[in-house]
Amino acid sequence: MRPTAPLILAAAATVLAAGSLTACSSGSGSSPDTVKIAYQRSTNNKVLVMDNYLEAVKKDFEKANPGKKVKLIPIQADENAYYTKIQQMMRSSKTAPDLVYEDTFLINSDIKSGYLAPIDKYLAKWPSWDQFLPTAKTAAKAQDGKTYGVPDGTDTRGIWFNKEIFKKAGLPVDWQPKSWAEILDAARTIKQKVPGTIPLNIYTGKGPGEAAVMQGFEMLLYGTGTDPLYDTASRKWVAGSKGFKDSLGFVNTVFSEKLGPQQSDALDPNVGTQVQTDWLPNGKLAIDIDGSWMGNQWLPTGGKPWPEWSTVLGQTAMPTQNGQAPGKVSMSGGWIYSIPAKSKNQDLAWKMIEQLQTKENAVKWTVQGAQIAVRKDVAADPGYLKSSPGVDFFTGLVQYTHYRPALPVYPQISTAIGEAMEAVTTGDAKPDGAAKTYDDALKTIAGDAVVNKG
Amino acid sequence: MSTLRRGGRLGWLPLAPAVVLLLVFLAGPIAYCVYIAFTNMQLTGSSSTDFVGFANFRRAFADPVFRNAVWLTLVFTVISSLIGQNSLGLLLATLMRRASKPVRSLTGAFVIAAWVLPEIVAAFLLYAFFRREGTLNAILDWLHLPSQNWLYTLPIVAVSFANVWRGTAFSMLIYSAALAEIPQDITEAAEMDGASGLRRFWHITLPMIRRSIATNLMLNTLQTLSVFGLIWAMTRGGPGNRSETLPVFMYDQAFNKSLIGYGTAVALLLLLISSLFSVVYLRLLKTEV
Amino acid sequence: MPRAPRNRHTTERLATDVALLVLAAAFALPLIWLVLSSVDPVAGLRVHLPESPTLDNFSGVLTEEITFRPMLNSLILCGGATALTVAASALAAYPLSRYRSRFNRPFLLTVLFTTCLPITAIMVPVYGLFVQTNLIDTTYGTALFLSTSQLPFGIWLMKNFMDGVPMVLEEAARTDGATGMQTLTRIVLPLMGPGVTVVTIFSFIMMWGNFFVPFMLLLTPEQLPASVSIFNFFGNRTGQVAFGELAAFSMIYSTPVVLLYVLIARRLGSGFALGGAVKG
Repeated sequence: MRPTAPLILAAAATVLAAGSLTACSSGSGSSPDTVKIAYQRSTNNKVLVMDNYLEAVKKDFEKANPGKKVKLIPIQADENAYYTKIQQMMRSSKTAPDLVYEDTFLINSDIKSGYLAPIDKYLAKWPSWDQFLPTAKTAAKAQDGKTYGVPDGTDTRGIWFNKEIFKKAGLPVDWQPKSWAEILDAARTIKQKVPGTIPLNIYTGKGPGEAAVMQGFEMLLYGTGTDPLYDTASRKWVAGSKGFKDSLGFVNTVFSEKLGPQQSDALDPNVGTQVQTDWLPNGKLAIDIDGSWMGNQWLPTGGKPWPEWSTVLGQTAMPTQNGQAPGKVSMSGGWIYSIPAKSKNQDLAWKMIEQLQTKENAVKWTVQGAQIAVRKDVAADPGYLKSSPGVDFFTGLVQYTHYRPALPVYPQISTAIGEAMEAVTTGDAKPDGAAKTYDDALKTIAGDAVVNKG
Repeated sequence: MSTLRRGGRLGWLPLAPAVVLLLVFLAGPIAYCVYIAFTNMQLTGSSSTDFVGFANFRRAFADPVFRNAVWLTLVFTVISSLIGQNSLGLLLATLMRRASKPVRSLTGAFVIAAWVLPEIVAAFLLYAFFRREGTLNAILDWLHLPSQNWLYTLPIVAVSFANVWRGTAFSMLIYSAALAEIPQDITEAAEMDGASGLRRFWHITLPMIRRSIATNLMLNTLQTLSVFGLIWAMTRGGPGNRSETLPVFMYDQAFNKSLIGYGTAVALLLLLISSLFSVVYLRLLKTEV
Repeated sequence: MPRAPRNRHTTERLATDVALLVLAAAFALPLIWLVLSSVDPVAGLRVHLPESPTLDNFSGVLTEEITFRPMLNSLILCGGATALTVAASALAAYPLSRYRSRFNRPFLLTVLFTTCLPITAIMVPVYGLFVQTNLIDTTYGTALFLSTSQLPFGIWLMKNFMDGVPMVLEEAARTDGATGMQTLTRIVLPLMGPGVTVVTIFSFIMMWGNFFVPFMLLLTPEQLPASVSIFNFFGNRTGQVAFGELAAFSMIYSTPVVLLYVLIARRLGSGFALGGAVKG
């Protein structure tokens, strides 16, 4: 190499970099004709249900609005990382998408942070809004009385179980447990009679995040009594309750008796994908406390087509702790489309919401995404009713369902619950100790808004 | 050099770009860090940012998870920096001076390759190595030794070893350079006197390279204190908090728990600890110059 | 020469060789796994010889989304940042090396001090600052920060190398009427070619592998460099992770830095020059 070569190289690189940098900054800037939508892409590369659906709506939209473009921003991450990323994006007008897809549990927190724009002025002129069920309309209604998003479906939670494994274990295939003890008994029987399978999956720990808290913990907790997490009358968070300790005790029993998955698998952030695309379809798991949407991957359009699922799997409701009234329990959530406050294309973003929620698209998504309908016209559509054998069962759970406290601090409380679950899963703490740690965390998070029900 | 002179005002101009960059992108964030550490800034759940005094620091010292992170950081640093990289690097450098050339080159190539690989690739390789179904357990099975799920049962040890694997080359290079500088006649003289290998090493070699040892220890420790990607990719600090060192704790608080103020207070503490090490390191260099 | 010591030497060398080989094997195992898995159609987590080696894993990842775009992003990001680091540190090193001033020593000590600071610790405030100044999610902003993070070390190395260049030629050029900038670019830098090469390549290697900085400062998926995209690829591990493909991508992603390292090692005679330079 000639002695001057490095310098020339450096100079050339500078020029190259300068050129490409300006090119980049113009590329990521927003254009008034483009709607940017941020959504979560599954961590399994084969699972593209949402991607395919949005791709189709994007085509509709661009056709209906000549000159306008839709830019999809898929964020491939587990749930926690996804929330962090969209919050980071919404903080700056430079990176704020025009439309975000958010879990309702986050919405109040993000509204309080000023990330989202109210959409009441659009809703007032939108005839389809009347089709939404009252609970759905309040899903994204904040404490200030304004509405910040349009839900595209809801969900319920129950128990999925593998009837073939149940037969082998000598358990009834029309199983309906009446209490937590009956679930544990069935799991113990399976562990003994059908070795090599995972008897029971309950989501747990920090990694799976809100999935663990909602599908796992709250399905237990809300079966222990009324207002077990947040006391609506006094508007205070509940500390020191027996139900809380008992729920942790259930999780602790599952993992200390090895009725659950390997602890390291259970704590993996992507365990949900694994349950859906591997453990259930491949007959590795007997009982799964999980959501109504599980079937979306098993449809011919899903990431793991599995036509036999409707005969192999049974569904049953989650019982209350000791079978106390009303006997069954379920939790509901759902996701919504919201417009970030820092979006520069709010009008166009609203148009995109309308496109996503034409009756045709709403039915399509409810079916493909295995959602429980939140619109009257969708719920009455024959396409929805025939979509999968699970739909009527999970729709029936709506009468037993609970919603999470819609308060800004909920995400932090959820994190604290995840940590308590993780501690009893690994055996680092006993249920009493973990509940105590939770109570302390609660005081830090909610301050005075805590009531002791010990 | 005898011809050094003053450059005049204009002569110092070339320093400007570097100074501007350092002020804007390094001094700026550090100052901002000090500010945020005393506020309750959040990623979500609050729109206002208030000054809260020392509340974040009080919270940290009362927080068992923080104390756990301090303890794990200590364990991580001692295992991977003081014991692992440092001793293994010295051992490799010493052995390499006596080994035959092909063996020397081969070993050097592997050790340095581990160092040159990007952080996340290293994390991926060691993750595979320590997994339940991974190579380490395969070897243990073959030797009829008990195997276990390392990333689950002993995650802090697994990530420490990963850091040793990745970082030893640096120590090896420093010690090789230092050993090469020991005059040959000194070791030969000792050999003539009949001193055994170990005694020679202890009484002659070590004292001669003590400055390199100090330098290496400082630099290793500082690098180890800031390891994030390796741990984050291998275990994310889990299970529980069993491999959550301070940088991971900081990230978790700031972004997963949305407590940017609290996370930054922890970052400031980390910065202070590192500054202490840096000052000690500079002192060492001073005595050497 | 008497036979006994010779024999002792041979056994000693043999013992050393064996000991070193054992250590080498420990370092080599994960690397061997990487190479074998990348050509194994059914790669698992253990080292094992593939029964039917294939390049399918490579062709599987050689797509725009998985390989080409992240690699190009990395190249632009790290190339730009390296160029800036080298230029700024060469400029800064010149007066530091050539002029005498009370200011030199404290400045160099500060530089050395910042070399040691963990960049990890300031990433949270840097993120906050980038949001407020709208530098967040921009390649040039991230490049500026990456460049600054390597700058103290670059200045330090560059100044040491520059001290080694004799001043006689410069004096001559000055007498001929050359300006300070001309002497720097035409005389000093060419003479310290190896030094500039080391700083360039070393900075580039460090930036290429850096995960945390782009992970925090870049958000849009198509701007992410390979260090973050490989984390997403591997961090999102699920039941049927394609270990073979991941290994193949790791190989592709690591190749540039390994080649560059070989290049400096060759150019400087041995791989040990950096160790010497770091020692100060």
